[in-house]
Amino acid sequence: MGYTIAEKILAAHSGGTPVRAGDVVVADVDFAMMHDARAGNAMKMAAKLGANGLPFAKRTALVMDHYSPPPHIEAANTHKEMRAFAESSGAVLYDVGDGICHQVMPEGGHLTAGDLIVGTDTHSVTYGAFNALGTGVEGTDVAAVMMTGKLWFRVPETIRIELKGQLQPGVWAKDVTLKMLGRFGAEGANYRALEYTGSGVAAMEIDDRMTLSNHAAELGAKAAILEADDKTIAWLKAHKARPPKPVKADADANYVERIEIDTAALVPQVARQHNIDDVVGVPEVKGKKINFALIGTCTNGRLDDIRQAAAILKGQRIARGVRMIITPASREIYLAAAREGLIEALTRAGASFEAAGCGTCVSVTGHLITGDGDVAISSANRNFKGRLGNDKSEIWVGSAATVAASALTGFITDPREVEGGQWRAA
Amino acid sequence: MENIIKGRARLLGDNINTDTNCSSKYLPGKDNAYVAQHAFEKVAPAFVGSFKAGDIIVAGKNFGINSSREQAVHVMHLMGVAAIISHSFGRQFFRNTINNGLPAVECDISGIADGDEIEIDLASGQVNVAARGITRAVPGLPPAVRQILAEGGLIKFLQKYPDWKAA
Ligand code: SF4
Repeated sequence: MGYTIAEKILAAHSGGTPVRAGDVVVADVDFAMMHDARAGNAMKMAAKLGANGLPFAKRTALVMDHYSPPPHIEAANTHKEMRAFAESSGAVLYDVGDGICHQVMPEGGHLTAGDLIVGTDTHSVTYGAFNALGTGVEGTDVAAVMMTGKLWFRVPETIRIELKGQLQPGVWAKDVTLKMLGRFGAEGANYRALEYTGSGVAAMEIDDRMTLSNHAAELGAKAAILEADDKTIAWLKAHKARPPKPVKADADANYVERIEIDTAALVPQVARQHNIDDVVGVPEVKGKKINFALIGTCTNGRLDDIRQAAAILKGQRIARGVRMIITPASREIYLAAAREGLIEALTRAGASFEAAGCGTCVSVTGHLITGDGDVAISSANRNFKGRLGNDKSEIWVGSAATVAASALTGFITDPREVEGGQWRAA
Repeated sequence: MENIIKGRARLLGDNINTDTNCSSKYLPGKDNAYVAQHAFEKVAPAFVGSFKAGDIIVAGKNFGINSSREQAVHVMHLMGVAAIISHSFGRQFFRNTINNGLPAVECDISGIADGDEIEIDLASGQVNVAARGITRAVPGLPPAVRQILAEGGLIKFLQKYPDWKAA
């Protein structure tokens, strides 16, 4: 019986002896991350361990993204503390506006194929897009890694998901995950690692693959790992990552479940208000009036999302009564969007841009408050009641294409039915 | 930490999010003492008022689901929670219980009523409710994890064994 990617990565990081799902290992961690919402706790824990220094802090990134920019004194003071901690420990620092942790980690070259990465955030599964085992932990864990370079892990069972066929134009990785959330329910893969494979994955560009891995957090996954191919290796090289050590699963690996999804037949999906697993095809709800459109977050705030929005909105004007905010996932993406003229095109169309960071995800920056009865359509990953600061409003979730098409018309709209909605990354 | 924990069962339902019910994630600026006085009141209004130090939380499936803050475990320590028994736990929550030295045991809870005297034997992996004739085997924790728990959590463990090598 062969081994899964998660089993192989954890074995390689804990001395090389093969391990099986259910085993507990103490493994060498390649890189760790803490963001400003959890850094206060992590630094407190680190203070208890730091008597002999934190020799592995230089392999840790501190990221100011949730409170970017800080909306209250408490957050501003945490940022000050993070700057001082990075200075004294040698940790890598990403300041306000640099971007969301899950974007700056790969862009900064901090991870490569075959790595074991932890971060104080459930969406740390994003790193699976690069064939790394990325998983969410808490402050105590990151403190332990900064001191010892190691952490304990239970080896997860793995579900293998084969995406059969290339997505149609206007349909994105976001729609794949929403479809799965509708089928398996939020947390339907609690604790499990996912391995995505198949021609549907091969055809995806890196931005979309990152969505695929990232959004697995809503399924409760501990990791969501893709194999590395030429696109992965080229991307890692371009971002000056350490040399890749690609890991493939054995053909006879021991999976708890194998699932096939007919991605070629998939249509755009949306999650209805309040529950990320209340999912229907866009054609079933089109015509639902919206008044707030949001593109951003670690799930869908990447360059291809902004390009897609611009393909729909360039030379157009968003519908009367709709407001639209776009938050690029990182400063690099913001700059690339500026170079390509996307910022101008979208600003002219009526959208506003905010500093790179988590801004459009959760109401912590206070910029997103919805009015009573408002309906938001967002490319984020969570839509529970009050996520944008008002219990009396609704949040619907779809791809950046669906959000941009809906902003254009003022109603939930199938992107395949508007001009530019079939745009595809080259 | 003892291998045998005895206490009174305090029942909670399914799918309890401990970020929402037992942390200050949505109560900015409130400290652990405040959160401990209001823990779980959204799902069980009378729970905290009658909770006594040494009681054992007995919860339905997915306890701590969708919740990542280890503060919830700090709050439970403050409440005096002796252990948690649940049909199943959220992944990150379970990790946090071990890292913070709070025994959490996966076990079928059917037949256990609020107020029952429970005994958990961590070494042999058993949950007993003598008055109801319940004896259930529970999955034993691997040694690496038992050692962390035995020291009262990961920080204390590493203060004692900075190279992860417990005797
Ligand atoms: S964008 Fe949202 S989900 Fe992603 S790290 Fe930030 S707050 Fe979390």
